[in-house]
Amino acid sequence: MITLGHMLTLSGVLFALAVAGIFINRKNVILLLMCIELLLLAANFNFIAFSRYLGDLDGQVFVFFVLTVAAAEAAIGLAILVVLFRQRGSINVEDLNEMKG
Amino acid sequence: MLIQILFYGFSLVLVAAALGVIAARNPVHSVLSLVLCFVTSAAIWLLFEAEFLAVVLVLVYVGAVMVLFLFVVMMLNVDFEQLRGGFTRYAWLGWITAAVVIVEIVGVVTAKRLGVDVSRGAAPLPADYSNTEALGHVLYTEYVYAFELAGMLLLVAIVAAITLTMRRRVGLKVQNVSRQVSVKPGDRVRLVKMPAEKRQ
Amino acid sequence: MQPTFTWSGVAPALPEIYLAAAICVLLMVEVFFGERRRGLTGTLTLLAIAGGAALTLACAQVDARVTLFSGMYVADPLGTVLKLFAFLFLALALLYSRAYLEQRDILRGEFYVLALSALLGVFVLVSANSLLSVYIGVELLALSVYAMVAFDRTSGVAAESAMKYFVLGAIASGTLIYGMSMVYGLSGTLRLDDLAARLTEAPSLGLVLGLVFIVVAVGFKFGAVPFHMWLPDVYHGAPTAVTLFIATVPKIAYFALAFRLLAYGLGGLTGSWTQMLAVLAVLSLVVGTVIALAQTNIKRLLAYSAVANVGFLLLGFVAGTPTGYGAALYYMLAYVIVTLAGFGVVVVASRRGFEADELEHYKGFHARDPMLALSMMVVMFSTAGVPPFIGFWAKLRIIEALWETGHLWLVIIAAAASVVGLFYYLRVVKLMYFDAVPAGLPATEKRTGVRFALGLNALAVLALGVVPNPLLELCERLLG
Repeated sequence: MITLGHMLTLSGVLFALAVAGIFINRKNVILLLMCIELLLLAANFNFIAFSRYLGDLDGQVFVFFVLTVAAAEAAIGLAILVVLFRQRGSINVEDLNEMKG
Repeated sequence: MLIQILFYGFSLVLVAAALGVIAARNPVHSVLSLVLCFVTSAAIWLLFEAEFLAVVLVLVYVGAVMVLFLFVVMMLNVDFEQLRGGFTRYAWLGWITAAVVIVEIVGVVTAKRLGVDVSRGAAPLPADYSNTEALGHVLYTEYVYAFELAGMLLLVAIVAAITLTMRRRVGLKVQNVSRQVSVKPGDRVRLVKMPAEKRQ
Repeated sequence: MQPTFTWSGVAPALPEIYLAAAICVLLMVEVFFGERRRGLTGTLTLLAIAGGAALTLACAQVDARVTLFSGMYVADPLGTVLKLFAFLFLALALLYSRAYLEQRDILRGEFYVLALSALLGVFVLVSANSLLSVYIGVELLALSVYAMVAFDRTSGVAAESAMKYFVLGAIASGTLIYGMSMVYGLSGTLRLDDLAARLTEAPSLGLVLGLVFIVVAVGFKFGAVPFHMWLPDVYHGAPTAVTLFIATVPKIAYFALAFRLLAYGLGGLTGSWTQMLAVLAVLSLVVGTVIALAQTNIKRLLAYSAVANVGFLLLGFVAGTPTGYGAALYYMLAYVIVTLAGFGVVVVASRRGFEADELEHYKGFHARDPMLALSMMVVMFSTAGVPPFIGFWAKLRIIEALWETGHLWLVIIAAAASVVGLFYYLRVVKLMYFDAVPAGLPATEKRTGVRFALGLNALAVLALGVVPNPLLELCERLLG
């Protein structure tokens, strides 16, 4: 039997990996965007697990909307990335340093 | 028992794939690892009888969002060699953060004071239960407000993405069909009458 | 039981429905007429805002609290007042920025459509009564704002700051829903009023963990230290017209986010989150004030000033009492009115090919444009908290609320930060009035309509300071 604890632990590990990825990848913005997708996936795991164990559908509806929003977010993020690339010819995080102060 | 074995198997694949996402040097490999993440997640959600969301995850995420990622990675044509510099000076910070977060969350989950009994399984669902039908029932009634707002959100995403990336290229030659159709012979060829030149 | 739709079931949500419809109509207008008539969508947007404000007033909830859409939406007096202010602030921001957009060739209808969709996000947050509506409101606002920051596609700095804003904002919304998932799982409901009723005893460990994630996300949205990294870069890098927008209208939404989510929904955990917010508030006050001293760019100066002001605003929440929330609301409104005038001056002083964003450009500003210099002086005095301007009363209310709840240390820190802040605000005034004009600066914008509105705005900063009671009493009554 899979318990609630199993699911929460799995989602915790996913969340931690996503956070680590955000710290580690100081090179490439696309990788940052992918780590954010992992972060959202971890939250979705929590919602599905709780929804199932509470016997309450609200959590699954929330996941439905998170998926919708995340798709829109990815579209805008990639659009900004394309604009940035056209301006700079680079998506290296370390090149994002034109402003200081 | 079978379910448990499947769960552990998929979890292992999922964690390995997530590691692949954050550690791969080549963004294309990262995208493909992320695809694997989503597919195994969908499988785990199926084990949890959240069928509709599992299908949506594959259709929307793997089918659309990840393809978009892959498309951008390919289109930008980034010099991967140059980005392959290895982990930066922040890498240790990342791993420490990950370790701390894992310890914290696992600690909280296994602690007695979480506020909910984590060792219980889910109550079995009735045989004729349909996850899709149940979601469909609430989505357009109880959640109609959120549903409409999600529509606005997608509209905003469309407007924003087009505004930011659409370029009107200068000097692009396009056909104007209505002008082509309504053209008269006189617009194309002009017959000029002129006196013949004298031979020299 | 199948819920059925009735007119009375949706009527209180008319402002949101109207706004959504207006966005669609304006989008169509832009498609068919936008090319030929550049400013048409902007003019229509201002008309739509006026219509929306009238409609909001007409279906105002006088003193009832009504929930709609299965409890996802709440209509109450606080919501109505915040929406009216949001309409007013957006109208002013769009009015000030029109010439700026025109001169940079980014006067396109999409700008107005995105501004209105951001406003819709603000409304959703203001009327949120469910974790789901909070999340969708936050995202609707954030996605519109990301696109607005990157709106000037020829500016590399704008794209860079949009990217930073996007990445950090997306991480923040990730932590927000992770925290929400914990709260949902341990309370079993998404509705904020149910949460308020259920979470009454001492919180379990899991709830505190969820709360930490939520507070981090709220801190990110406000730009509180240590989650402020995006704020100076975005204020600096975005086109000034967009900075004017993001420094003002979204603050209403963030106040609503903190109030509806923390103070109301998670009101049972007040003891836990006030401690977390107190740390963020003190750090913001200290860091914002100290770093602002070293700035040479006025947009960055105002950005760090925003960080310090966020510290003050959060102190109102730290008090954890209705008086404190009332003080925070008053502080937020005062701050937005003042900031509108501040960035308004920067926008109006900029011309084609010239950004009036260095402090250098304000040397001897009085000799170049006495009226704008006077407005800027009013802004600086008010932000510094000098009586009789509105900023003085705002700071006083916060300190009073903290005093009542016995937060002596916070009172001392707040007062000290205000005194240090006085120095750099007065430095700007000194630059404008006593320094010589550098050569080669273009003339400022001369359109009378904009200047008149800006003058009224600056006058309001003074007038609301001389007669503070009506607004103060309104804030107290709304949250009392």
